[in-house]
Amino acid sequence: MDFFSLILWPIKWVIEAILVGWHSLLMLAGMDAASGVTWVLSITGLVVVIRALLIPIFVRQIKSQRRMMEIAPQLKKIQDKYKGKRDQFSREAMSRETMALYKRTGTNPLSSCLPLLLQMPIFLSLFYVLSDAYAGKPGVGLLNEQLSRQFGDAELLGLAPLGSSMITSDGNVWVIVIASILVVLMTASQFITQLQIMSKNQSPEMKASPMYKQQRILLYLLPLVFAFSGFAFPLGVMFYWFVSNLWTMVQQFIVIRNMPTPGSEAALAREARMAKKRQRRGLPTIVEDVPEPSVEEHKKTQRQQPVGKNRAKKKTGK
Amino acid sequence: MMVLRSSALQTIALLPRNLVIVLLRGYRAVISPLYGDVCRYYPSCSAYALGAVQEHGVTRGGWLAARRLARCHPWAEGGIDDVPVHEHSPYRRTRFGFVASQRKG
Repeated sequence: MDFFSLILWPIKWVIEAILVGWHSLLMLAGMDAASGVTWVLSITGLVVVIRALLIPIFVRQIKSQRRMMEIAPQLKKIQDKYKGKRDQFSREAMSRETMALYKRTGTNPLSSCLPLLLQMPIFLSLFYVLSDAYAGKPGVGLLNEQLSRQFGDAELLGLAPLGSSMITSDGNVWVIVIASILVVLMTASQFITQLQIMSKNQSPEMKASPMYKQQRILLYLLPLVFAFSGFAFPLGVMFYWFVSNLWTMVQQFIVIRNMPTPGSEAALAREARMAKKRQRRGLPTIVEDVPEPSVEEHKKTQRQQPVGKNRAKKKTGK
Repeated sequence: MMVLRSSALQTIALLPRNLVIVLLRGYRAVISPLYGDVCRYYPSCSAYALGAVQEHGVTRGGWLAARRLARCHPWAEGGIDDVPVHEHSPYRRTRFGFVASQRKG
């Protein structure tokens, strides 16, 4: 056993346990043990379990995003300070100050690197479990030889084995067709999620940054990346990815609708929705969350000359 | 540690470091933007890793980066967290971010 599979071993074990758990549950519900649908649903179950475990992290993020409203004025101040400055050093200084503000007020809206870091080994482990199953090898834990063979041979829509990929299709046209469809679905779901975040939930300042442009270019390169993965990954892994994307999409939709980034297009849409609601109920339109007209007080650039005691007296005396 | 006098030797000694720098630059250019801002720290974890490897090499920099990743969880306060730097670094950095010996050429 090489170092890499040694690290993945515990994750593989857990993934197998979840898959077999769902499989037995579905069998109890009267489904056929060897049928493709049972195993496809088991993979869906795996997504549900993993993403549900990540919900507390998500809720935490939402809570701190709510608290973002409270620090919005301070955030605005920082954004105004660097308005129109697009050079690298200003942007760096701005991120630095924003981060310091988050820490000072305990309102960090970012989710941290952990969820991303977790997804990668899970994905890889599923890849190995499924590939091994397709090769007829038993798993490391609960997935015994019989179950492993069933899993590897289980067919998506009764047409293509879950464990096969475009490379290992052996001339099965359906594998290629289904893999292509999955690539399209995966790309579309990722694209929509990304586009929603980028076009609706980002402040105008962010949209002006060079980082944003880079993100946009990548968004359109994404289909290429997925087309490549469509070649190498087994259908079951792609299906997992697609369902996981769907979950993200719905989650993101809820966040953008109810807790948008202050100053973004989505935030304006939410205000408009709330105003309409109030109107429909016949309530007086409360002007809420509308930034005060920023009448900048005229700053005197010239210092007021000090006035001698006598002259000051004369002025007030007049 | 042995002081490498020859510039050529030093270039070879810096090779692993620069290789990892290429990988990190690639990750930051292609994969990072896909996820947008997620890191609770400034600089972000990948920027920290890049800086740590540039400053301290693959082993110590890698260790620093791993510890930083472990710190970046949802319950962390976040904030500003810079790479510890040497007072006088014996190397210079190119525009791309490669680490090279001080003398040019």
